[in-house]
Amino acid sequence: MQGNSKFTTDLKPVWCRGCGNFGLYAALTRNVFPSLGLEKDKIFVVSGIGCASRIPGYMDTYGLNGLHGRSLAIAQGAKLARPELTVLAVGGDGDFFSIGAGHLPHAVRRNFDITCIMVNNFVYALTKGQTSPTTPSAPPGDSTFLPSRSYPPVNPLLDMLSYSVSTEASFIAQSLSTDIPHLSRILTEAIAHPGFSLVGVLSPCVTFNPPHLFASIKDNASYLVEGEPVKLPETTGRNSWLHDPGDMAHAMALARIPITEMPFLGVLYRGAGPQ
Amino acid sequence: MVLLGSLLQRLAALQGYCGQMPRYYGAQIRGGATAIRLSFDIERPSLPHDIPDILVCFDFSQYHEIEDELGLGAKSAVLYDGLVPSHFLLPDTSLPVNFDEISQSITGSPRNKNIVALGTLARMLPLSMDDARAAIDEDGELRVVQRNLPAFLAGVELVDGLSLPVLELSPAADQRPRVLLHGNSAVAEGAVRAGCRAFFGYPITPASEIMQAMEEALGPLGGVYLQAEDEIASAGMVLGASLTGMRALTATSGPGLDLMTEMLGLASAAEIPMVIVDVQRGGPSTGIPSKSEQSDLGHAVCGGHGDAPRAVLAAWDIESCCRLASESVNIAEEFQTPVILLSDQWLGQTVIAVHEDMLKAGPALRQRKRPLGDHQGPYQRYAWSDDGISPMANVGDKGFTYQTSGLTHDEEGRPAFDFQAHQRCHEKRHRKLETLKDRHDLVKVMGAEDSRAGIIAWGSTAQVVIEVMYDLDLQKQVKICLPELLCPLPNKVQEFMDNLDTLLVVELDFSGQFHAYLRSCLELPARTRIYARAGGRPFSRTELAGVLTEFADAG
Repeated sequence: MQGNSKFTTDLKPVWCRGCGNFGLYAALTRNVFPSLGLEKDKIFVVSGIGCASRIPGYMDTYGLNGLHGRSLAIAQGAKLARPELTVLAVGGDGDFFSIGAGHLPHAVRRNFDITCIMVNNFVYALTKGQTSPTTPSAPPGDSTFLPSRSYPPVNPLLDMLSYSVSTEASFIAQSLSTDIPHLSRILTEAIAHPGFSLVGVLSPCVTFNPPHLFASIKDNASYLVEGEPVKLPETTGRNSWLHDPGDMAHAMALARIPITEMPFLGVLYRGAGPQ
Repeated sequence: MVLLGSLLQRLAALQGYCGQMPRYYGAQIRGGATAIRLSFDIERPSLPHDIPDILVCFDFSQYHEIEDELGLGAKSAVLYDGLVPSHFLLPDTSLPVNFDEISQSITGSPRNKNIVALGTLARMLPLSMDDARAAIDEDGELRVVQRNLPAFLAGVELVDGLSLPVLELSPAADQRPRVLLHGNSAVAEGAVRAGCRAFFGYPITPASEIMQAMEEALGPLGGVYLQAEDEIASAGMVLGASLTGMRALTATSGPGLDLMTEMLGLASAAEIPMVIVDVQRGGPSTGIPSKSEQSDLGHAVCGGHGDAPRAVLAAWDIESCCRLASESVNIAEEFQTPVILLSDQWLGQTVIAVHEDMLKAGPALRQRKRPLGDHQGPYQRYAWSDDGISPMANVGDKGFTYQTSGLTHDEEGRPAFDFQAHQRCHEKRHRKLETLKDRHDLVKVMGAEDSRAGIIAWGSTAQVVIEVMYDLDLQKQVKICLPELLCPLPNKVQEFMDNLDTLLVVELDFSGQFHAYLRSCLELPARTRIYARAGGRPFSRTELAGVLTEFADAG
C-alpha cells in the first residue's frame, strides 16, 4: 500500500496482516485527504499510544505520535495557535476512553475544529491483549472475548455513541475500518465539519479479538442513511423513523441500543460548529 | 488588610518609595487570618525588617495564626482595634484605636476602617500629605480613597489627636513614581517580552496570578490563552502550540509540575521548546500551599522518566522574575528543549514597588534554528550537527512535513529500535545543552572576591542571605554565589568552589536538596556546612544573621 499516494511515507506499518488500521490508513491517504483537496503540509495528525496511534509515521503530513491519551491536548494547542491547519487526533479506545478520558468532554465542549478518530478494536493490543473500557463481557464458557469472571465486572462497557451524545458533541459518527468507502465518506464529512467531530471506527484486532466478535459487529450493523428508515433491533419494540442527523433526541435513542446488539454506522448527529 | 497594605504601598510608591509587601495567609477561601508586611526604602526594594516600627491589627483573636511569621518588638507602635486576649502582652507603645467606630460614624459603615487606618499610617510614616492628597484625586487605583476622603482625613487627624508617634522617613532618592507588581506578574511580563504568545494553565495556588496576567496581556496582543482541564492538558497544549512555531508557556506549582512531567519527557525526547514556571509552595502533596518552600528543586533538575535533559532556571528577586522568564523562553527556543523556571510563593505574591527601568533591560530575542529549504531528499528534523541543534520546521510550513514521536528516532524522526540510535539520541539531547555551562552571566557572585569562605544559595533564600551579609557588614569577609541557571550548572559555580576553604549552603527545604544536587555536580570544599529547614515560614534576617555570623566567625 505504501507509496501509492502522495500522502504516504515509505515507512512500513507495524500492524499485523489483516489489521483494521490498514483500512483507516487507506481511507485517509487515498480518499479523504485527496478528495478534500488538502495540502499535506497543512495537515497535522496527532496520536496517542497504541496500534492505531502509529499512523502518523506512515502519512506524509505533519505528524506526532505523542503520549498515551493526550493527543487531544496537543491537537488543541496546535489548532489554537495555527487555525488554518487541518488537525486530526487519532487514537484507540484506551487513549480516549481510559487514560485520556478526562480530556474528551472538554474537547467536545470547546468545539474547536478538530477531527477526533477513535479506533475501537475493543482491546489493548499493543500491550498484548488486556481488556479495554470497550471490551464486551459475556458469560464464561461462551468462548467469549472477556469472560465475566474478569474483575471488576465491566458491564456496561463504554460506548462511543452513548458517550458522545451525552456530551452533545457537535458531530458524531461511526464506521467500520473494513468498509473503506463508507469510512472515507464519514471521515471526509467529519473533517469538513466546522466544529469538533468525533468518529468511532470499529476495527478488528486479528490477533487478540475472538474471530466472532467483529463478524457479529458486521452482521448486526445498521447503516444510517439520511431520510431513510432506521433499522432497529426487534427487541426495542419501537417503530422505526426516518433518519435525521439533526435530531438529537433520535440520536440519543439510537445511542441507548448496546453496540453488541446493533452497531449503528453513519452520521448519528450533526450539530452546529463553534458559535 | 491586603487592601490597606496595597493602598499604602501605592501612596508611597507615587512619592518614589521602593519596598516589598509580602503576604501571609492561610488556606481559607476568604477572610481568615491575613497579614502583610510593608517596607519603605528610599533607594531599592529591600526586604522588610523583622521587627516593625508600626503594627496595625484589626483582630487580635486571629493574630496567633500568623504570629510566627510576623514580628513584634518592645518599641513597635501597636494600633489595635477590638479586644486583646488577656494572655497577650502588648508593648507599652500600644494604643487601642477604634477604626471600626470611626469608619461607622463618618461613612456609615465599619467597612471603611482600612481607609481610616490608611490616613493614620500615611501621617505616621510620614508621607507628604500634599502629594498624597493630589495622588488621591488623580490616581485611578486610589479612587476608593477619594470616595471616602473624610475617612482618610479622620485617620490623618488621629495622629495628632491621640499623640501617635511620627517616624522619620527621608524623601525618596528619586521621587519619580514606582511601578507596583509581584513576581508572578513580572514573570508574565518577561515571557510576553520574549515573544511568548500562548498560555495554557490550570488554577493552582500560588501560581494562578501568572495565568491571570497572561490572560490580560495576551488579549490585546492577539495571543492564545486557554484555561485547560488539568495540568497534563496545559503542558500538552503548550507542546501543540510550540510545534507550530508559537512561543508557549504554562505556570503551575509542585503538584501540577508532577502532572506535567510526562509531557516534559516528550518535549525533551522530541526536542520541542516548552517553558514551565513552577511557583513553589510547601509540599509534599497539598502541603502548606500558601507558603514558600524550595522543595521542588530535585524534581525540577532530574524528575521524570528516562534521562530527559532540560534547563532549569531560578528567579530570586523581582527583576530576575522578569529577566529569567525572558531567558527561559529564549533558551527553550534556541535549544529546542523544555525549560523550568523556578519561583516560589514569596517571590510570586510579594508586591514590590520598584523603578520601572529595572524591568526594561531584558535579553535580546533568540530564535529557533530554522531549516533553509535547501535540503536534498527528505527534510531531516533531527539532522546530526556539532552543537546538537537541528533546524526545526514549524508544523504548517510548506515543504517540511515530518513525523515525530516520543519514540527513539533517526535523523528524519522515524522510529528506531537499536542501541546505536538510542545512544545517539541521548548524546544529541545532552550535548546541545553543554554550552549553557558557559553562561557565566547567569551566576551572580558578590562579597569579598578573595575570601576563602563562601555561601551559596538560590531563589528567594538568596535575597535574604544577601541582605543579611550587608546588614552584618560581612561583605569584606565572605562571598556569596547565586546561580540563576541551576541545570546545567554553569562552570562558574565550580570555579567559585575551587577557591574556598569553607562553604555554607542555605536552603529552604527539609532534606537539603540543593546541597545534594551540588554534590552530584561539583567538588565541594571539605568543610561544607548546610543550613536547611522546612518552608512555611520564610527565613528572617534575625535567623540568618545567626547562621552567617557563626559561619563567618568559624572562618
